[in-house]
Amino acid sequence: MSTTLTIPKLEMSMSEGTLAEWKVEDGATVNEGDVIYVLETDKTARDIEAPASGKLIQKAAAGELYDVGTEIGEIV
Amino acid sequence: MAQANLGIEPEILKAIYGQMARIRAVDKAVQAGLSAGKFAFSYWPMAGQECIPATIAQLTSQADYMVTTYRGIHDQVAKGVDLEGLFAEMLGREGGLNKGKGGSPHISDPASGSMLTTAIVGAGAPIANGLAFAAQMRGEDRVTIVNFGDGATSIGAVHEAMNMAGAWKLPVIFLCQNNLVGEYTWIPDYTASENFAARADALGFRGVVLDGNDPVAFYNGMKDVVESVRAGNGPVFVEARTFRMGPHAGVGDSNFHSKEQVADMKERWTVPVTRALLLSTGISTEEELAALEAAAQAEVEAALAKAAESPVTPASETTVDVFADNDAIPRRGYAPVREAEVVPTGETKKMMMFEAIADATRIRMEKDENVWVLGEDVGDPPGGVFGTSRGLQTTYGKRVRPTPIAETAIIGAALGSALVGMRPVAEIMFADFMGVCLDQIANHVAKQRYMSGSATHAPLTIRMMVGSGLGGLGAQHSQSLEAWLLHTPGLKVCMPSNAIDAKGLLASCILDEDPCVHLESMSLIRGVRDEVPLEDYRIPLGVAKVKREGSDISLITYGWQVRECLAAAEELAKEGISAEVIDLRSLVPLDYHRVLDSVKKTRRALVVHAAVEFGGFGGEICSTINEELFSTLKGPAIRLGADYAPIAYSSAIEKSQMPSTQSIVARVRDAIKTYN
Repeated sequence: MSTTLTIPKLEMSMSEGTLAEWKVEDGATVNEGDVIYVLETDKTARDIEAPASGKLIQKAAAGELYDVGTEIGEIV
Repeated sequence: MAQANLGIEPEILKAIYGQMARIRAVDKAVQAGLSAGKFAFSYWPMAGQECIPATIAQLTSQADYMVTTYRGIHDQVAKGVDLEGLFAEMLGREGGLNKGKGGSPHISDPASGSMLTTAIVGAGAPIANGLAFAAQMRGEDRVTIVNFGDGATSIGAVHEAMNMAGAWKLPVIFLCQNNLVGEYTWIPDYTASENFAARADALGFRGVVLDGNDPVAFYNGMKDVVESVRAGNGPVFVEARTFRMGPHAGVGDSNFHSKEQVADMKERWTVPVTRALLLSTGISTEEELAALEAAAQAEVEAALAKAAESPVTPASETTVDVFADNDAIPRRGYAPVREAEVVPTGETKKMMMFEAIADATRIRMEKDENVWVLGEDVGDPPGGVFGTSRGLQTTYGKRVRPTPIAETAIIGAALGSALVGMRPVAEIMFADFMGVCLDQIANHVAKQRYMSGSATHAPLTIRMMVGSGLGGLGAQHSQSLEAWLLHTPGLKVCMPSNAIDAKGLLASCILDEDPCVHLESMSLIRGVRDEVPLEDYRIPLGVAKVKREGSDISLITYGWQVRECLAAAEELAKEGISAEVIDLRSLVPLDYHRVLDSVKKTRRALVVHAAVEFGGFGGEICSTINEELFSTLKGPAIRLGADYAPIAYSSAIEKSQMPSTQSIVARVRDAIKTYN
């Protein structure tokens, strides 16, 4: 079962966020709880952990601003 | 460490950890889903505070009542709320505990004893008093625990509730989960208090500070507290010191604490610390704990998967659960025919309105021991400042409760008791004081049925006096504030114009399954005397009455303005103008059938009320008449209310600023001249 990664709504007021940096390379194996990317909002930068274990497939470039809900990757 | 020195039964410590593991699994599943974007809803993380409810669960049962807050998912899980229903509620699904209408900040689950969850900081405390009062009056040994954060200690509702609980020796535990920060403001910045428990001492009851991160110390401290409260020794305030590892709202680690603080909290976090204790003492093996955690995770995953299958609560549910009785809901183009009352034929007695109100209350108290009365000065003497409960405390003792001067505590206690089937009659004295307790009325009383998807409801009555017309009471004791109430879905509102109706309407309010507000005109309460039937009778809500028949214009009004309109009709008759006077009696539900029927005949309408005209109820009624009867009308339906100004102390101003016989006559004359 794969897990889709989308830009999460971290706070009530959040509508978009910047995928500042992927912390894990495309195609690498991650364990649930590993930090996989850094998400920047207007308030803060936050480490986002893997919600599942598996192979990370990146689908969005770092350094870009995305709307909440945009698919940015997958863990398969 | 040897088990003998542990200070807690090994099985209990294991059970505490079992609850921690369930809470942890729920938090992880929610955070994972939110992080992955699988679902999106507001979430107020409670990681760090797991020990508190996990421990309390060992000392209470589902028969005990709990009230908590939006940051209370750990409380819900440990209380035994059904996880599938909880997740479905978070997701806004039909299968939610509250049909997806409340969401996680508004869980009500009477089956587990989780009675009410509020998203208004501190507002649960007054409501908890009502639950505790019900248990006390019924002689049950239930304990009520109300959870709130340290931030809530700043708000008046908590103070009012603590004071009342102390005065009434209620079996309630004020459980302050002190996580050291109120949203994003640290303790020294928002209070100079050294500790919160000391506030209980000041109010005459016991307060204790406990380590809310240490299951052994917390268990032993709480055991003593729960036993004491259960035994009837009155309330206890518990300050459970803990910390919050997440942000105020959202997911992940706190972005507000410093990196050092986060690292320190992770080090001292009760979940791994308790786990390590179970292992080091030899109470559990690694395999046992791993199995226990796996079981918790499996339980959570299964519940979440099933919850996700439940359909999203559809728009067709919009007006369901506003009232038990869907017919009461005002809707455009809806004018149902409701049967009028059966006119009592038995013996009567001349009564003033205040006596009729006391008589209606007495009859209901006699017939149902769940009916109770609370409010400022309602005891004997004086039996209410206007005598509306005179003699009741003498007859019914503790079922009549004079309260502290604390309206929020009054309405909260009424609501809490109503949640478990009592039928309180709460007096707020002057409607002007409603501002003090509007949160309880508008955010809690009115919405509870809806937010709980009818899992609970609030059959309570609030009585208050409105609209002076007497002169000299000034801007804070003379207002007609019905529009505030009418604009809040979930409240039924009535306003009698005479003593006979007051008795019958109040009976209907007390017997109603939903919250009712009985507005009493100050100028009538000791200003009218009617032949009031002695028997038990009801005047149904939503039935207007033609007080005088006429053919040229309908005067639509309520409360003390009925008297003014009748006098105006008398004047107008001398000029050959025949005015029909409709007494609405009840504002929600509203009798549009009788209103429209009358205007169909007279083809003119004037709505009169003592409340400010601008933004008032008259505009609503006129708009409906104009829309429904546009082609029938000789002229537009018009309104007459008070001038846009606070009520003045000067009686000359007061007299002129509210509708009077003269100003009603003038408005009618003018309308008939303009639209002939």
